[in-house]
Amino acid sequence: MRGTALTLVLACWAGSLPAQTMRPFSTYRQQHGETRLGARLEFAAGTVRVLAGRPSELYRMSLSYDAERFRPLSRYDKASGAVTLGVESSGNTGLRVVSTEHLKQMAVVELSPRTDLSLGLALGASDADLDVGGLRITALQLETGASRTTLRFSAPNPVRCRSATISAGAAEVSVIGLGNSRCDEVQLEGGVGKVLLDFTGTSTPAQRAVLTLAVGELTLRLPRHLGVRISADKFLSSFEPAGLVRRGSDYVTPDFDPSARHLDLVVKTAMGGVKLEWVN
Amino acid sequence: MPTGKRAALAFGLWAVLTPATAHATDFCTEHIRETIVEAVRGIVQQVTPGPSHPAPQAVAPGGPTVDIADLTRPEAVEQRVRGAAPKVGPELRLTVRDGQARLGDFTIGSAETLTGHLLVLNGNAHIYGKLLGNLVTVDGDVVLHPGGAVSGDILALHGDVKDQGGEVAGAVRTLNAAAPSAAARAALRRPSALEALGTHAAGVVGVFVTLLALGFGLVMFARPHLEVVSDTVSHSFGRSFITGLVGQILLLPTFGMLVVGLILSVAGILLLPFAVVVYALLMILGVGGGYLAVAHAIGETYARRRMARGSAMGSPNSYRYLMLGLIGLFFLWAAWALFGWVPVAGEMVRGAAVLVTWLLATAGFGAALLSRAGLRENFAGRIVPPEALTDEYLWATPQFGVPAVRRPETTTPSGRSVSQPPDSGR
Repeated sequence: MRGTALTLVLACWAGSLPAQTMRPFSTYRQQHGETRLGARLEFAAGTVRVLAGRPSELYRMSLSYDAERFRPLSRYDKASGAVTLGVESSGNTGLRVVSTEHLKQMAVVELSPRTDLSLGLALGASDADLDVGGLRITALQLETGASRTTLRFSAPNPVRCRSATISAGAAEVSVIGLGNSRCDEVQLEGGVGKVLLDFTGTSTPAQRAVLTLAVGELTLRLPRHLGVRISADKFLSSFEPAGLVRRGSDYVTPDFDPSARHLDLVVKTAMGGVKLEWVN
Repeated sequence: MPTGKRAALAFGLWAVLTPATAHATDFCTEHIRETIVEAVRGIVQQVTPGPSHPAPQAVAPGGPTVDIADLTRPEAVEQRVRGAAPKVGPELRLTVRDGQARLGDFTIGSAETLTGHLLVLNGNAHIYGKLLGNLVTVDGDVVLHPGGAVSGDILALHGDVKDQGGEVAGAVRTLNAAAPSAAARAALRRPSALEALGTHAAGVVGVFVTLLALGFGLVMFARPHLEVVSDTVSHSFGRSFITGLVGQILLLPTFGMLVVGLILSVAGILLLPFAVVVYALLMILGVGGGYLAVAHAIGETYARRRMARGSAMGSPNSYRYLMLGLIGLFFLWAAWALFGWVPVAGEMVRGAAVLVTWLLATAGFGAALLSRAGLRENFAGRIVPPEALTDEYLWATPQFGVPAVRRPETTTPSGRSVSQPPDSGR
């Protein structure tokens, strides 16, 4: 009898371990006439979304984070006009992603469309959708680790952007609408992965892009009306200069000189392929 | 239905469905229960008043001191406040550095200006006037009314900030209680014995069926090789185990040498991805095939012993040997599936199962290496190849210097008398 009871007790015993806890955190700052903002987003793991926010706010972040491994990051330096948002490791545990459950951290960051913005993003194992259309981007720096990142200029940048620097590790990166970015120079440094650079958009008169990819596939989506010049430095890579003609050591579009908009591309690849896609 | 009754009904439902009773039903209905609980919780919140707050009062200074000047790390602030005021009540004594603490709801009127930091415990803070400092609420909301202004930061711990048109010079932050998702809870919750049993049993049966299917495929397409590896295990178990052990130790260095060699040869870089995949496949085949060969050997030994005792067995062939062997090995893991949930003993059973499985897999891997994946019979106990064991050979050829005339004689089905080679009983 006792044995049966003990068995039943043991069979029904289901003590719970402390579960992984996702804590909601949010922060925002009202706009008080600031004209520029240096925003840096650090996000080690999870899903992150960046978009233009309300004009009355300088920034806003809604976050759901793993309280066992991370803590929220929300620092604003009034003197320099710089804010750091995201999550940082709580120190003793480091980044340990052992299941998809750990990737369920989520951050939505909204930035002021009124303020000139120097935006820096450091993303780890994350799935990022960054729509900077409508923001006044003056400089952009994106570092991604093992992530799937889509950076989108869905609307023209109201201000001129000095440069956009993208540094990708083992990642899948898509940059859509670079023609809207008004960035004078685009720099891409890719490790292993798949990169799509879409130069559609209307607001950038001349642009230079230096693209370096170690191993992987680089797709360049180019509008037909654009005057494109490509200088390719490749090693064990394939490159089909479809739609281009040879001029010296470079490849150019047939109507390069009379084109209203010019794009200079320097492509350096080690292993992989460079693909051109022409769009209207 | 009156509000009170609805509240009582909702509360009753909620109580029935609380996590305390979840263990009985969470096996299949976790998700449904979660949905219902959330719905009922919503109804309860709709029909019942909000959390009751203590009567508004100032917290007397004294006791521990809390610093809320820096709110950039909300978790640290939460820890500090909880540490200083673990139990909130009228008897609480608390000092806020450069500020004050309040218990219950607190309002700054439109004509008022409060200087210094403000900590509100178990209550809402209504800001109509001006606060020259930081504001922290614990278990309460901050309501910023039109015209209200806070010169510093705001932090609502386990509460919300409702901005109805006030002005905040600093940052607004809210940090709420952790809410683990149902999936996270399911993933990290220690399963009940029944769940553990079901999960383990399903896993063991699944692996058994997979191994059986793979084994049958191996018998169908590579029986001679499997039999040679199986015989190598049977006849040279110790040697196979040692070889397997050494093989396991050398797996990584060999892989490293392969990769480095291919990289150094420049042209070999192109072959690197293929080499890595092929190497991995060969290792899986070696270990998996070796393990199946061990099962085959176990099954064969068992079947032969039974037949030797005169037990009737339907067609003793490799399929049957393999199945018998796998069933034997399956029993080991079945014991773990049945008793794995028992504290300590379950771990011991699992340890034993892992150890035995590793031992047999190592021996199988070694046998696969020794026999070159079943191509070499040197260690399989087969001195004379089976195809050479014809009547003519047995009559005419003396083996190991033993004259054929001295061998024990047997009679073939054709009535001819032949001598018995040493291992012809195989």
